[in-house]
Amino acid sequence: MATPLLAVRNVFQHFSLAGGKSVEILHDISLEVREFEVVALLGPSGCGKSTLLRTIIGLEKPTSGEISYRGKIQTGLNPGAALVFQNFALFPWLTVQQNIMVGLTNLKLTDTEREQRVRKVIDTVGLEGFEEAYPKELSGGMKQRVGLARALAVEPEILCMDEPFSALDVLTGETLRNEIIDLYANKSSPVNSVLIVTHSISEAIFMATRIVVMGAHPGTVLAVLDNPLPYPRSEHHPEFLKLAQRVHALVTQNVMPEEPAVATADQTRRVIRSIPYVSLVTTIGLLELLENEGSMELFELTQHADLELTQLLLVVKAAELLGWVATPGQRVEMTPAGREFLGADINRRKQLLNARLRDIFVFDLAIQVLQHSESGEVHEELILSQLALHFPHERPQRVFRTLVAWARYAELFKYSSTRKMLYGLAPDLTE
Amino acid sequence: MTPDQQFIRTERPFEWTDLAVFALLLTVIYAVVTVAREWTGPLQAVAEIHTEPRYLPLYALYSLTRGLCAYAISFLFTMFYGYAMARVAGAERIMLPVLDILQSIPVLGFLPGFVISMVHLFPHRNLGLEIASVLMIFTGQAWNMTFSFYSSLKTVPGDLVAVTRLAKMSWWERFFRLDLSFAATGLVWNSMMSMAGGWFFLTVSEAFVLGEHDFRLPGLGSYMSLAIERGDKHGQLLGVLAMLAMIVFFDQIVWRPIVAWSQKFTDEETGSAGRSWLWEKIRRSRIWRLGSSSVGFVWRRSAPKLNGNATPQERPRHQREFLWRWLKRALIGAGAVGVLFGFARYVHLLTTLSMTEWLHLLSSTAMTFLRVASAVALASLWTIPAGVMIGRNPRWSRLLQPIIQMAASFPAPMVFPLVVGGMMALGFGLGTSSIALLLLGTQWYVLFNVIAGASAIPRELWEVTRLGQFSRWMRWRTLILPALFPSLLTGWITAMGGAWNASIVAEYMKYRGDTLTTVGLGATISQATERGDFHVLAAAVGIMAVTVVGFNRLVWRPLGRRAQTRYSITN
Repeated sequence: MATPLLAVRNVFQHFSLAGGKSVEILHDISLEVREFEVVALLGPSGCGKSTLLRTIIGLEKPTSGEISYRGKIQTGLNPGAALVFQNFALFPWLTVQQNIMVGLTNLKLTDTEREQRVRKVIDTVGLEGFEEAYPKELSGGMKQRVGLARALAVEPEILCMDEPFSALDVLTGETLRNEIIDLYANKSSPVNSVLIVTHSISEAIFMATRIVVMGAHPGTVLAVLDNPLPYPRSEHHPEFLKLAQRVHALVTQNVMPEEPAVATADQTRRVIRSIPYVSLVTTIGLLELLENEGSMELFELTQHADLELTQLLLVVKAAELLGWVATPGQRVEMTPAGREFLGADINRRKQLLNARLRDIFVFDLAIQVLQHSESGEVHEELILSQLALHFPHERPQRVFRTLVAWARYAELFKYSSTRKMLYGLAPDLTE
Repeated sequence: MTPDQQFIRTERPFEWTDLAVFALLLTVIYAVVTVAREWTGPLQAVAEIHTEPRYLPLYALYSLTRGLCAYAISFLFTMFYGYAMARVAGAERIMLPVLDILQSIPVLGFLPGFVISMVHLFPHRNLGLEIASVLMIFTGQAWNMTFSFYSSLKTVPGDLVAVTRLAKMSWWERFFRLDLSFAATGLVWNSMMSMAGGWFFLTVSEAFVLGEHDFRLPGLGSYMSLAIERGDKHGQLLGVLAMLAMIVFFDQIVWRPIVAWSQKFTDEETGSAGRSWLWEKIRRSRIWRLGSSSVGFVWRRSAPKLNGNATPQERPRHQREFLWRWLKRALIGAGAVGVLFGFARYVHLLTTLSMTEWLHLLSSTAMTFLRVASAVALASLWTIPAGVMIGRNPRWSRLLQPIIQMAASFPAPMVFPLVVGGMMALGFGLGTSSIALLLLGTQWYVLFNVIAGASAIPRELWEVTRLGQFSRWMRWRTLILPALFPSLLTGWITAMGGAWNASIVAEYMKYRGDTLTTVGLGATISQATERGDFHVLAAAVGIMAVTVVGFNRLVWRPLGRRAQTRYSITN
């Protein structure tokens, strides 16, 4: 096989946090992008897929590892890539035409060539008539067309897109998705290879010829799947559904490993250590969904809950951590504890939660620190540094925010954001 | 615009705006020549000031030129200082406090240094004196522009920076097309404030006594100070009118069009707020179109050449960084030595002061502090209710905003004598009257900020207080005051800083041949300058700077943090 367009080899990425600590965002990533393919980087939020994209383009330097483009090791910006941003990144003071021209600023072109290119991409993405408009006059979908046109104008060999549809409404996203596939399938268009970051499984399968499934904390490549389905693809095609299920299983397996089928309190402490960043209210909503049936397939749940699988899995994981559900295979089953919680009134719910949270590692950690403090108060810095110590792959601030939100809901302890102090630990009623 | 329309456009005969633009160009050329003749003339420490009204247009031209020159310096200063502060690693730790201190030093603190050094540089030409005067106006303009530019640079969106990097823009391109454009809106508004701030001390900047020397430069400020000294009510009134005319003229001819033009740099859809009749005319005029298209042509022509020279940015740059690091260290070292030397000299100067002089300084500081605090309190008393009323009503704020702006940019010291005359007739001394003077100079800052804060309160929150049938007091306590707090704080900080500075003209004035004065730090500074007593002057200016900065650090900053965490309206 010819040399790939782009090769990523053993890339690690660390970001430094305040206080001299650092967090590992990407762990030993290797992947390739060849000519004439659409590669999707698929993963839950916080898995570092955007960071990986920015590293590939050369906006970030990898901490270690190398990226080569057409066999040459890349030291600065990737010469053949262009980027479409999630939030468009248009200059508010430039017209549509001028915004597109920005991408061409430093290409060695004559004025007429520049104008020709701009006219061509405006025609390609359907922006005729909007040349003199300013971004503030455009709808989200039109703005993203400008972003796309700016990227296409440089005639990139790899068109990179960072969740390009997630700031748009569903229908607009659908339209643009189809248009990009048309551009890719049309051999006369400049689009050659596409690298797209997404958290939506169906978007990945709809668009990509190859799907790189990523896991989080730290970001790793779980699997690379080929997707040979012919364009145009339909979400109801049996092959589409089959592939979707495979990806579902992979993602699920990563977020909720199968080993402890029913987690006992002891095992939970050792195996699941951090807490998923979801609100308790959402998690209780999951129980409401399960109330009648008692159990549901994950796939079915995504439809009922109107959530992406990657998001739903975090909710399920939270419910499992609280002992409310069990997850044999692809099923989610409500446990007796879950049913008891659902049937309880608000005060009883707080009691149940209060007892349950004490068994979870992160809360136990905070409680221990609070108990050892003479004043009964603890500054957040102390907890944050503990969290950084125990979870080197997660941002301590995020864990802390979830911790506080859950503890407040359960009235386990209190937190003052003005004084930045944890205080008021509730007495343990279980003993 | 389609080609057809363009065709029709260019076929139209000359419009009156074209003629007007031509006339403007000729006027500017004439003005430049006139000013140049005055500046390069032989040194005349005390220029003869004519009190006939027909000299007023010429004087207005002189003053305006000084203001514009000062503005040009302010702009350059802002570009360099603001950029370095925001972008050079570690620089802001030193440069931010320095700017804070510079801002708190009253204009008379700079006066002796500027005048002596400039007159020394140009002993035989008026130029030295002119430069000194321009520099003094500059000290009233620059700081808030620099702060604005700095904070804009700190908030340039990361995605846009990524776009400029992907487009391999050179440093210049990035500076113009991203940094400067992003900062434009804030810079324009702060430029307006700055010009107004520069006029504030115009009477001082154009006519001052330093030791045995009496300096006067022809201009509106010196005209006013002469009229005040002579107690010439008629002349004062004319001076005030001329100043007003100049401000209105400059606002309509320069600021409105610039504000309208700068609307394109904001991200939001704008209403009629930034409309300007002149800008509409100019934009449609033939000369503008010709000019802008040829500039665009030259820009595009030169752009590829720029790129040719642009070195690939992403090359290994150890060498450059190494050099840069050492250069930075050398600069910091040199700066530190200079500061140490200056500080030693300063301390030495202070040791010559006697105990009684120190005691006098401290009691003066206390008096001025009381006046400044009362002025800000009084200002709040009327501006808060008025500002809330205006801010809640879009129609009123649209109508009143320009008028208030104009009133605010009028240099209050010019009407001080009129006010003092009135207060004295009522039996008040200068000690009390000066509170009114400080109020006159600084109430606008509070008013502006209250209006802005009140108009930013979401309509839903007003509705909640109505649905809950809140009493008036409840509404103020639970909604208005907390919501106003952050903007009120900004207003107070600016007003208080301004009031300290204004005390030098409020506590001491020459009026009808008499010298009116009262006990206060401002009076001390003015007297010390006039007597050429640099020891007392240095001590007093130092005390004022320390007081202002100290108060900012110890009182305003903790309150500001609280405002941000608890009372910010977006949560």
